[in-house]
Amino acid sequence: MRGSRSAIAAAITGLLAVGLTACGGSSSSSKSSASGGSSTTSGVQSIPLKPGENPSGQSLTGGKKGGTLTELSNGDFEHLDPGSAYYALDYQVVQATDRPLFSYPPNSASTIRPDLATAIPTTANGGITDGGKTVTVHITPGIHYSPPVNREVTAQDVAFALERGANPNVGNAYWPAYFGSASPAPLEGSTASSYKGGPLKGIQTPNKTTIVFHMTKPGAATLISALSLPLSSPLPPEFVGPLDKHAPTTYGTNYLVAVGPYMIQADKSGKVSGVGYNPGKNETLVRNPNWNAKLDWRPAYLNEIKVNVGGDSTVIGQQVLKGSDQVQLDTVAQAVVKQAYQQYPAQITFTPGSGMHYLTLDTQHGVFKNVNIRRAVYAALDRAAIVKARGGALVAEPGTHFIYPGSIGYAQAGGAAGPSVAWNTNVNGNVAEAHKLMVAAGYHSGKYTGNDQTQVVYGQGGNGPAIAQIVANAMTEIGLHPKVSGVDQSTMYSKYCGVPKQEIDSCPTAGWIRDFADPLSILLPTFYGPAIVPTNNSNWSQQNDPAINSAMEKAAAIQNPAAHAQAWANVDKMLVNDAVAVPEDFDNQPNIESKDVAGVNMLWNEGTWDLAFTSLKNP
Amino acid sequence: MSVGASELLTEPDAAFESAEIVPGEIAARSPRQLFWRRFRADRVAMASAIFIILLILMAVFAPEIVKLLGLPGPNVQDPNATDAFGSPLGPSAGHPFGVDALGRDVASRVIYGARVSLIVGIVGTAIATMIGVVFGLLAGFYRGWVDTGISRIVEVFLAFPVLVLGLGIGAACGVRGCAGGLIQPGMGTVIFIIAIASFTYIARIARGQVLSLREKEFVEAARSLGASNRRILFKELLPNLLAPLIVYSSLLIPTNILLEAALSYLGVGIRPPTASWGQMISDASNYLSPPAAWWYMVFPGVALLLTVLAFNLLGDGLLDALNPRGDSR
Amino acid sequence: MTTYIIRRILWGIVLIILVSALTFLFFNVFPSADPAVLRAGRNGSPQTIAYIRHELGLDRPVYVQFWNYMKGIFLHFNFGYSFYSGASVLDLIKDRLPATISLTVGAAIFWLLMGIPIGILSAVKRGGFLDRTAMGGALVFVSMPTFWLGLIVLFLFADDIGQWHVFPGANSYVGLTVSPVDWFTSLILPWFVLAATSAAIYSRVLRGSLIETMGEDYIRTARAKGLKENRVVWRHGVRSAITPVVTIFGLDVGALLGGAVITETVFDIPGIGRLNYDAIIHSDFPIVQGTVILAALFIVVANIIVDIAYAYLDPRVRY
Repeated sequence: MRGSRSAIAAAITGLLAVGLTACGGSSSSSKSSASGGSSTTSGVQSIPLKPGENPSGQSLTGGKKGGTLTELSNGDFEHLDPGSAYYALDYQVVQATDRPLFSYPPNSASTIRPDLATAIPTTANGGITDGGKTVTVHITPGIHYSPPVNREVTAQDVAFALERGANPNVGNAYWPAYFGSASPAPLEGSTASSYKGGPLKGIQTPNKTTIVFHMTKPGAATLISALSLPLSSPLPPEFVGPLDKHAPTTYGTNYLVAVGPYMIQADKSGKVSGVGYNPGKNETLVRNPNWNAKLDWRPAYLNEIKVNVGGDSTVIGQQVLKGSDQVQLDTVAQAVVKQAYQQYPAQITFTPGSGMHYLTLDTQHGVFKNVNIRRAVYAALDRAAIVKARGGALVAEPGTHFIYPGSIGYAQAGGAAGPSVAWNTNVNGNVAEAHKLMVAAGYHSGKYTGNDQTQVVYGQGGNGPAIAQIVANAMTEIGLHPKVSGVDQSTMYSKYCGVPKQEIDSCPTAGWIRDFADPLSILLPTFYGPAIVPTNNSNWSQQNDPAINSAMEKAAAIQNPAAHAQAWANVDKMLVNDAVAVPEDFDNQPNIESKDVAGVNMLWNEGTWDLAFTSLKNP
Repeated sequence: MSVGASELLTEPDAAFESAEIVPGEIAARSPRQLFWRRFRADRVAMASAIFIILLILMAVFAPEIVKLLGLPGPNVQDPNATDAFGSPLGPSAGHPFGVDALGRDVASRVIYGARVSLIVGIVGTAIATMIGVVFGLLAGFYRGWVDTGISRIVEVFLAFPVLVLGLGIGAACGVRGCAGGLIQPGMGTVIFIIAIASFTYIARIARGQVLSLREKEFVEAARSLGASNRRILFKELLPNLLAPLIVYSSLLIPTNILLEAALSYLGVGIRPPTASWGQMISDASNYLSPPAAWWYMVFPGVALLLTVLAFNLLGDGLLDALNPRGDSR
Repeated sequence: MTTYIIRRILWGIVLIILVSALTFLFFNVFPSADPAVLRAGRNGSPQTIAYIRHELGLDRPVYVQFWNYMKGIFLHFNFGYSFYSGASVLDLIKDRLPATISLTVGAAIFWLLMGIPIGILSAVKRGGFLDRTAMGGALVFVSMPTFWLGLIVLFLFADDIGQWHVFPGANSYVGLTVSPVDWFTSLILPWFVLAATSAAIYSRVLRGSLIETMGEDYIRTARAKGLKENRVVWRHGVRSAITPVVTIFGLDVGALLGGAVITETVFDIPGIGRLNYDAIIHSDFPIVQGTVILAALFIVVANIIVDIAYAYLDPRVRY
């Protein structure tokens, strides 16, 4: 990888960069203060993890049965319908109440296992045939829905659940990208513009326990990974179909049924709103009476889970740390992370590889159309400062490329250091290199000389303002004129950054968590040209380079795992080379629990507590 | 000076009582001179006036003062001044008031923050006064349905939620501005909101003053001389309103400074990275759990307290100088 | 008198409608977000969004929407449904109102109990040590921002994060019916903060007003008649001096009931003010409309009550 000479050069430029960025003209900057903040020359000051804080070694067995767990959360769920659930918090409930065809066990981020299915399809067992264009899955018989449906689950139910992903009333965000028209290997019949749900040629059910998928091109490996998404969890058409006729559907907001060990508390007709589902206030999960422990790989220790929504994150943190039988559901406040690490080390875990954030740059409009200006921002950005703003080395490390830790292809894409291009090597920001790139962009002075303002739109929660300032700093270094605006985080996505027509130059608080372990789910919705949609767009950089697009399509078609990973790693390198966005940090999600909770974190889902594996020490 | 200036004093007897007899020279002091004499004698009010002048100087010369004290600029982010967790560090040699979450020097930001509070407080009050005077003058002078109409309009403004206005503009015009980029959240919008929220106070006072003034003899005299309404409004009534208006608006300034701080605290106010005391306190509330970043919260708050206190004392002093009640101070 | 009250009530209704119309117009001119997009959620397709827009009536002209909204209120007492969660606005308001009322009523009692005696004592013992310290202290409290005092108080005395663990901290509010003791203790700090800043104002105003009143002729007459000083002060002095206090009190309570956003934010109390604030941030217009109408209603009612009290207290005022 890197030679020692370049390391020394990096260290020297790092020192220079720290000096330059910290000074800004005045004389006194490098006086470092006494306690705690020793000056860093390059990289980020490390903080050692205490025993038990890395959940990778967590025990999945031996829990005690019974008791009620209380989850406190500042934010609420968005969708509990597995057809539209798309958010780490939603997945926590869905994982406890629904059963997709395949799942990730809590202690693995990349190794999939059969859930509703009996086995992972391979060419050896006949699951993958036709050169990777056909996948056959068998489901476990004898699994029943919760009341009021009660009947046995069939393969047709899985087909119905998947097909409703194309129904606009359901509002599934990933159907086109993984199964439909934006996918490199779509299911047969899904690309017709008139298809909006209903029977699909690409999903056949020859009998009650078999589903056969037909794709137009080879894509078995990716499809199997994609079937770990909640969309593949079975739903009864006779119950859900009529509800789907409303726009939006009332399944998920008013009614829910379950197949997993738990269900949202409902009345006799299956109505959850006002019973176990009170958005903005509380939710209650109880045991599913029709769940058969022998047919499930989950232990399901808890008897009941109560979710209380609302309140300040800092206060919630206090309550959880000092209280009993509680966990925090959503993101832990920075100040609480510090307090927990220092005073309650046994009650906090940090889940590695829980996602990443990046600074998106509009590659189609404005000043960032020029690749060298993009590279200059990349070079100038102080990623170590962003890591600190997010809470330090415990919760983040500097981002150096786009396939983040724990994902397939991470190591091949460069691991922790990433590709060794000039603008990526210094995580403290390298202003000299940035100036060189500006010269290459056509600005002889090394700084932008135009008058246009550069839009920087950030989401207001938590450390958003701080991160926006760090980004604005980097832009100012190369002569740009950043205009920083903060809006509510969901407005940032829904009104500005996620609407291509708005032509927002940069969004510094954009983040992504993969949908499943395959690198396609990290790079496709975010950087694939055909994945651009007019609203709720996730390709915030509006990247549409034909070379990159076709590289992704080719990589998705490769069936051999090693070559598959390498091909995606090469796509990652192309993205870094093109500086389509600037990776800011790789996240390690903090999670806190009370002292008498034996919590189990889902490594594949931001470390949220796995309700089917968590137990109480004294139920 | 206009004839009606003697009407400044509501208790003319008091004026005569405090007129001194100077041997060898008998000169009656004008009410204005008496006003200033009383004010100068009020030591507390004088002290606060001096404090405010110093504050204004500090705000104007903020860059020089910061350099003089050897502090980094208000927007200089020092990553070494936060601990490994990104939490701000407390007071130290290089940062006497500690730093904020981005490593920016709190003392420096407190000094620059005076600009925001003073500009918004004074300009916002000035605009509120101008609007209020117009409303009050018209309502009090013309009375009848003009008065009723204006009072009704004022009531609508009183009942309209200012917060909705502020947050709404902030949310809607945040990124691109509204009305073709004319309306941008920031200082201008905050001043506008404060003016809207507080002009009713001045309007009510102006109306009351005009109602009582218009019955006085000098107005009748002017009218009998053939003066038009307009002339009476501008030449007779307005000058006599000046003194009480100055006093009451100076009492309004501290309220508006607090209002700006409250709006900043709620996130409606000045855009970052500009330092604003209210916003600093709002940021600081994220760092309250132990070990709390108390410096980040205390210093801007004390600055606010002292500033508002000074303006309150000044306003009280002006009010007492205008309407002496024989209080011993 | 009755005709006056009826006129005020009628104008009050018109006022509320006007304020509501202005808010409606404001959010149409300055839309912070598209409600249909928000309702559709992060996964909304263009077809879903268009359908939702039609369902919510957002594709009709503004005045038609407003007319329908007013019809809904006056005919069915229906304030619409939240764009975010679909819950009925009226239910949400009813849910949050008790917290705001608890906060306001408790604080009002506190500041009257604190402010009035101090104001009277300071006026009676004018110039003395008590007067000077009381007025000095009052001035300091009046000059501090309530949210700052709230944060300091939490920093010092909250039982979870404070230096001394005395009172329940932020986010500890429970309903009166759930647990009276916890309800009371959770409100002690917020009541103190609200009362401290307000009581100071009342003391100053009452002191000034009482001093002025006590200089009036009829007080001299009462003393000359041989009435006891206590009676003179209370029966004659305070009775007319209290009128400006009544005015401010009414307006303050009215405004506070409409939503003490600052205090509710600092102490995390789930009241109307916070509901209003969150709704504006999330562009949840029906809730914003509902809370704005409620706030205007409180102000109008407070004004009318103050006018009636004024007439009762000050015999010179007649309508």
